[in-house]
Amino acid sequence: MKQPTTAGDALSPLVISLMKGVMWREDNERHWQQLLSLQARVRDHVAVLGLRLELDEAEGYALLRQRPLEEGDELPRLIPRRPLSYPVSLLLVLLRKKLAEADGGGADRRVVLRREDLVEMLRHFLPDTTNEARLVDQVGSHINKVKDLGFLRPLGGREDEYEVVRLLNTFVDAQKLEELLASYRAHAETLGKEVPE
Amino acid sequence: MSTPLDRATLQKLREQNPAWRLLAATHAPFIISFLHQAFLASNTRTVSQQALASRLEDHLHEGRSLGGLDLPKRAEAYLDDWAGDSGWLRKFYPMDSDEAHFDLTAAAERAIVWVTRLLERRFVGTQSRLLTVFQLLSSMVEGSEVDPNARLAELQRRRDAIDQEMERLRAGLVDVMAATELRERFQLMASTARELLADFRELEQSFHLLDRDVRQRIATWSGGRGALIADILGERDALSSSDQGTSFRAFWDFLMSPDRQEELTQKLQHVFELEAIRQTAPDPRLRRIHYDWLAAGEATQRTVARLSEQLRRYLDDRVFLENRRILEVIRSIEQQALAFRNSPPSGTVAELDDVAPAVELPLERPLFAPPFVARLTQQLLEAGEEDVASDGLFEQVAVDRARLRTNIQHLLQRQERITLAEVVAQHPLQHGLAELVSYLAVASENRKSVFDEQSSQRIEWNDRRGQTRSATIPLVVFTR
Repeated sequence: MKQPTTAGDALSPLVISLMKGVMWREDNERHWQQLLSLQARVRDHVAVLGLRLELDEAEGYALLRQRPLEEGDELPRLIPRRPLSYPVSLLLVLLRKKLAEADGGGADRRVVLRREDLVEMLRHFLPDTTNEARLVDQVGSHINKVKDLGFLRPLGGREDEYEVVRLLNTFVDAQKLEELLASYRAHAETLGKEVPE
Repeated sequence: MSTPLDRATLQKLREQNPAWRLLAATHAPFIISFLHQAFLASNTRTVSQQALASRLEDHLHEGRSLGGLDLPKRAEAYLDDWAGDSGWLRKFYPMDSDEAHFDLTAAAERAIVWVTRLLERRFVGTQSRLLTVFQLLSSMVEGSEVDPNARLAELQRRRDAIDQEMERLRAGLVDVMAATELRERFQLMASTARELLADFRELEQSFHLLDRDVRQRIATWSGGRGALIADILGERDALSSSDQGTSFRAFWDFLMSPDRQEELTQKLQHVFELEAIRQTAPDPRLRRIHYDWLAAGEATQRTVARLSEQLRRYLDDRVFLENRRILEVIRSIEQQALAFRNSPPSGTVAELDDVAPAVELPLERPLFAPPFVARLTQQLLEAGEEDVASDGLFEQVAVDRARLRTNIQHLLQRQERITLAEVVAQHPLQHGLAELVSYLAVASENRKSVFDEQSSQRIEWNDRRGQTRSATIPLVVFTR
């Protein structure tokens, strides 16, 4: 067995702050270094709770994710799931695409989009409307939702420029996208339309 | 190697090359003077959007009021234009900042430097350039010589030349360069040194291009996995092992050695003290050009390191293969979404894990606390009978700042500038220290007054009891 943790142990603040949210290297370099050295212990510790530590050294973030359940495991989930409406899910997909394209394009890795860009991006996929103002408001509420999920970060205090947080890469991975695609296809089938592959 | 300068090529160049477009722009004089001031005159690499926009705003304002400039848009809009299709600025978000930053592109810099050359050069030093060509040639010939005997013979020849020179010196024959020769060499040195600084920007840009090239090649790769990995391994150090990378490394190692820096400092110092050079009033910034090299080189060094690191990550086959799969799936998703554009699904289509476990701490929430209600008791105020001296209430000192400002303005009508001590001498302080402090406050609000912390002034006045008081304050000068 592991040593029981004492109050002075560096492990406690690490696990606690991971339980509360994503840990960024740039927020606290000292914590980050401690996390790197105590990684194995943190992993063991959170495994008991049915969680796993996901740590991306290059991007500089660490977070806890639900451990995939094994056969016969009946652990209640600690990490809640957030329901995604169709436009929000689509926005996430489009943002994920921007990240992938930025990786392929070289140069600046930070992806910064203006509010207009986001509106423009989503507009193609929303029903035609003559009410421009309403469309902008709707997109605004989708943007806020994604912001709450933690994948868009407003820059410089103003609400007209957003950075796409790279955390999105781990959440919207190939598997998640396949899942979304399947769900979209199911919807298309209920409409009875032929959809090109 | 050389491209033919036919009409079609030049036509295309004029339409597409940012440097040419800058020269041909309608407002070229305005834009060039602004960019020169903002970036080149101060050897600045990057400027934050806010700082650059406010400078441009000033510049625009000046141009509109004096020169009747026809540029109606806001500064930010121009910056975005110039960073966009014009290709004169590079806009980017540094890793540690939420604000966009700008840097001049190599093309714009080239155009601006070319324009400055039109003004600068006073005489054409041919001899020193010829010597440089000669030296370059002989170093190449010598460096590629494999025959040890030939090399020995060359060294022997040089030793003989040195012996001869030493003989002449011993005989009291000291050859000194003529003033013209000195000036000529100095000019060559100065322009090379400045060009070197410009090269960094170009270097950084070509590293960016190289990086993009490699990425594009990988993205469009269609061969098998084995071949891909082989290709990846070959490209791993694509940046640092390119010609650019190697040369830059060598330059950097050379410059970084403390001996070299010491040597450069001393030699520049020495040269600047020569009479022939002093007469030409050389640009004082040249004196510390090697520090500017260091700063610029360091910035380039950081860029190269960052790009290499990112490229390595991108080449990580797991990331790469996943990215490719992801783009494919995204394409299908987009097609689906477009197909049911006018009848989108309602309700929840999927679920996404939250970024952290939900830890509910109900007891951490603050408990209800009854709001505080102020109870007011009504009490009648009655006239007191006590006889207290109420003088204290009326003796509060009130300094009228408007009066102080008028004092200063009156005196400034007679003279261009005036120190605070002179003002006080003309209008003695009526409220002592309080008034003096008010004067300082007036001075700090007024943009035309200057505080000189280096020198101080002594100010004297009589207090109400007739006692002489004095204060030592920094020198304050008001100007018209």
